Amino acid sequence: MLRFILMRLGKAAIILIAILTLNFFLIHAAPGDPAAVMAGEAGAADAKFIAQLREQFGLDKPLLVQLGIYLKGVIQLDLGYSYRQQMPVADLIFQRLPATLLLTVSAFIISLFLGTLAGVLASARVGKWSDTLISSLALLFYATPLFWAALMAVLLFSVYLNWLPGFGYETVGANYTGFARALDIGKHLILPAATLGLFFMAVYMRMTRASMLEVSQLDFVKTARAKGLKPSIIQRRHIFRNAMLPVVTLAGLQAGQLVGGAVLTETVFAWPGIGRLMFEALAQRDYNLLLGVFFVSAAMVLLFNLVTDILYRVVDPRIRVA
Amino acid sequence: MADFWKRFSRNRGAVIGVAILVVVLVVAILAPLLLPQSPWRMVQRPFLPPFSMDQYPLGTDALGRDVLSGLAYGAQVSLLVGLVSTLAALLIGIPMGALAGYFGGWVDDALMRFTEFFQTVPSFALAIVLVAIFQPSIYSIIAAIAIVSWPPVARLVRGEVLSLRSREYVEAAILSGQSNLTIILRQVLPNTISPIIVLASLMVATAILLESALSFMGLGDPNMMSWGYMIGAARTVIRQAWWLSFFPGVAILLTVLALNLIGEGLNDALNPRLARRGK
Amino acid sequence: MLKKLVPFAAAFLVSTALHAEPVMGGRANVVIQPEPPSLMMGLVQNGPTQMVAGQIYEGLLRYDEKLQPMPQLAKSWEVSDDGLTYTFHLHDNVKWHDGEPFTSADVVFSADVFLRETHARLRTSLEHVESITAPDDTTVVFKLKQPFGPFLGIFEAGTMPIIPKHIYEGTDYNNNPANNTPIGTGPFKFTEWVKGSHILLTRNEDYYEEGKPYLDEIYWHVIPDAASRAVAYETGVVDILPGGSIENFDVQRVADMENTCITDKGWEYFGPHSWMWLNNREGPTADARFRQAVMYAMDRDFARDALWNGLGKVATGPVSSSTRFYSDEVTQYDYDPEKAKALLDEMGYDGETVRLLPLPYGETWQRWAEAVKQNLEEVGVNVEIVSTDVAGWNQKLAEWDYDMAFTYLYQYGDPALGVARSYISTNIAKGSQWNNVEGYENADVDALFDKAAVAVTDEERQELYTQVQQKLVDDVPVAWLLELGFPTIYRCNVKDLVTTAIGVNDGFKDAYIEE
Repeated sequence: MLRFILMRLGKAAIILIAILTLNFFLIHAAPGDPAAVMAGEAGAADAKFIAQLREQFGLDKPLLVQLGIYLKGVIQLDLGYSYRQQMPVADLIFQRLPATLLLTVSAFIISLFLGTLAGVLASARVGKWSDTLISSLALLFYATPLFWAALMAVLLFSVYLNWLPGFGYETVGANYTGFARALDIGKHLILPAATLGLFFMAVYMRMTRASMLEVSQLDFVKTARAKGLKPSIIQRRHIFRNAMLPVVTLAGLQAGQLVGGAVLTETVFAWPGIGRLMFEALAQRDYNLLLGVFFVSAAMVLLFNLVTDILYRVVDPRIRVA
Repeated sequence: MADFWKRFSRNRGAVIGVAILVVVLVVAILAPLLLPQSPWRMVQRPFLPPFSMDQYPLGTDALGRDVLSGLAYGAQVSLLVGLVSTLAALLIGIPMGALAGYFGGWVDDALMRFTEFFQTVPSFALAIVLVAIFQPSIYSIIAAIAIVSWPPVARLVRGEVLSLRSREYVEAAILSGQSNLTIILRQVLPNTISPIIVLASLMVATAILLESALSFMGLGDPNMMSWGYMIGAARTVIRQAWWLSFFPGVAILLTVLALNLIGEGLNDALNPRLARRGK
Repeated sequence: MLKKLVPFAAAFLVSTALHAEPVMGGRANVVIQPEPPSLMMGLVQNGPTQMVAGQIYEGLLRYDEKLQPMPQLAKSWEVSDDGLTYTFHLHDNVKWHDGEPFTSADVVFSADVFLRETHARLRTSLEHVESITAPDDTTVVFKLKQPFGPFLGIFEAGTMPIIPKHIYEGTDYNNNPANNTPIGTGPFKFTEWVKGSHILLTRNEDYYEEGKPYLDEIYWHVIPDAASRAVAYETGVVDILPGGSIENFDVQRVADMENTCITDKGWEYFGPHSWMWLNNREGPTADARFRQAVMYAMDRDFARDALWNGLGKVATGPVSSSTRFYSDEVTQYDYDPEKAKALLDEMGYDGETVRLLPLPYGETWQRWAEAVKQNLEEVGVNVEIVSTDVAGWNQKLAEWDYDMAFTYLYQYGDPALGVARSYISTNIAKGSQWNNVEGYENADVDALFDKAAVAVTDEERQELYTQVQQKLVDDVPVAWLLELGFPTIYRCNVKDLVTTAIGVNDGFKDAYIEE
């Protein structure tokens, strides 16, 4: 097992380096550089000013040398310095990480729980009106553009009904502490987590339902029925357990995307997370920062893939993990 | 074929889906005939509410442009982006998956690492970066969507091919000395068509959603009237003109819904025993 | 549209309410958009930095709405009769936020050493300066090489911020850790900056003007989404929306709210002037008749009403009407598609597609580009909008890779500071987007601008600037659009926020909140 984990970690490191390299060339292929952006923002600049900035950022060196310097830093776990924000990239990312994780993890957990629950319910009543209702709703959520749902939610719950704050992470300047602060953040969390969760919920519901139905057609279930076991026991012990395998796989995949997958939600709700940081870094050609965000989110995906695989091995020793 | 239709039409949702999609298609194709004026033309006062003037039943936008006309021409763009980018994704994904599944060994390993590599970067983030870097245009958008959506195709095809590879008729073909290419094209791929069709119908839906999301982030093609663009442009005026984002939102929702329903119907009709995969 | 604007105009009148006794205390909640890259104003002078850091740092002077100088760090000043020597007398009880005393040495260091290195715009103006000296702790003398008309206009905080010598002398300015905790002399001190969330400034208890400032603290809220910023005002999270904080489409609705005042004052120093660069070097835009046709083809009144809420003015030429030496005795280009078509026929325009770059600063600019594209297509010009982000836009302009491109620039109160730079041929240089990007070359125009900058009397300068405006407007080197109006929206019980030519940027010194 240890050897397996080490090997996978080694592979992950290689993939990470490859991702960073590819993204490095990608972003350098974009028109303009951070010096041009900052000169643009300054409202006035001459060639001297821009040259000064480039030299300061090390952008005057050949591209491969820059890549070498960057990768060398990354290997020493130094993600570099953000040109525009004048702060170490790691600090910026870790400042934003909790907000993103709070949003995505809560959306993830709620949707996983409610989604599988709804899926199981629907599959147990397949063909009945409650199944039709759940399935139709799931399909509807699945087909709704996320940003559109978010906008409509803000319009309804924040603007017209005034029940919930429509944006932000907490009430700025309120200086809450302890429980009051947690409550305040919780209130801000509801709308973004709900809109983000809606889509995932639909995914898990559909997956669970389909998987439950498929497994219930399998031979060992038929055998169990023939043995005269109570349907509720079959449902729980035989079908549910086996049907959860693909759901867990999908959840593992999606858990990895939690860091980088909420750009839209964060934009609409002005949530100070990683996704927004990425978008800003991209617009500002803040190379180090953008690469840093990609590094962290890709590392997260790889980590979750590894954890899923290990769980698999633990749960089901027959599975050979390559 | 008749059998297929019978099974397909037994799924009521799928029939509704086809009906919706046909309407969208007809509107897209006939848009230039029904509404000859350019959707960019400023025809009335800005922010004309819907149902207040017969000539412009869905109202006008911030510049006084006809929303209905925008929806009709937007259907063209959304469908075009959805179809072309899906096609492109299939063109990347199918060969990848087929080669990996058929040859196995290091080819499989290398190709799957490559696929994994693309799945490691959050797909929407990657799409944003690609479009921003190559500058927003219909081409960069299609390319970006294709690049982020081929990995599931590759995985699906690989899985199918892997299981077909050991079938007797494939073994027989190998023994009879047919070339690998012939076997893949003649014997293996035709048998993977059904799940690919199902996946593709869902991918068109996802591509339309992706395009609209990119446009919403301000990364649409500025010369094309698309639904995503309309919502993106309407987002800042959502409070005073709900209809500007509402109607295109509904259009996307219905189209995506239709494609999903059709996908389910196809799945029921083509692979009654196969669970939905890919996504 | 116009009818709706009437109550709006009335709101303007209300905003200049009667003065009462200022109230001490309270907090101002303000939107800041976008988040500034840094608050060290000696290094960064973009819009949001100036707005926040303008409360932390100060210049020697402030300017009223008529651009007349008022005391700030300098309590008085004289100009010699030959226009060559400017002497400033500083306040003697000023302390930096870290407690160190402020002296004339700080001014000399800032203007002569630090800013010459870091401030591109000021550097150009300082080329007219022979020497900067400090005969004693409270006196600074600027000696010029030759008279420079607009010289008294460069002492505002964003143009010449005074920064602390004891912190920066001899250091690597860009990497000085103190950049993250700016130290100034202004009415508010830097307290906290949570990136992506807010910036907090608190009252400078030791401020040298007795009793000021009135507010205890200022919270600058970072809210990246325009619609969310409007909601923030409506739900009472913020009370002040500086110009440009919300989309123009939202202005009318928000301004109609109860207890809400709006003013378009406080931008006189900047005189934001919008136009389209037209590439004078190649393609159809190289032909003056094509450029004139563009002017006739555009419905600028519609753009102002539909996109800018009827705020601002249609620009008559290169100089904003709020800038000194403006003249309206120039050729007028009213919306006239027929004239545009005739000009295009005359030049024999062959339908070549022209590329149009919108300004990547939000929805209004995007819509504006779409409207102009439609206007131009209706007179037969084929236009392709090229979408790009800020970095791409900067690069395309700097590399002259465009046919038409939206922009707006500040004028800094005087044509010599903010107008000439876009038209004189000595200012053509690849690699920057702040010079003569269109590539217009006219020796007469060059000579007139040169003469006007160093002319001693205002009458002389007016005469020369009127001539240059007439010439430019006939040649249409760029297609002028609007003098932009950036309304500041605030609760009516916030008083005296906008009293100077830079408005909110140094407005919190005098602002107070009535109960």
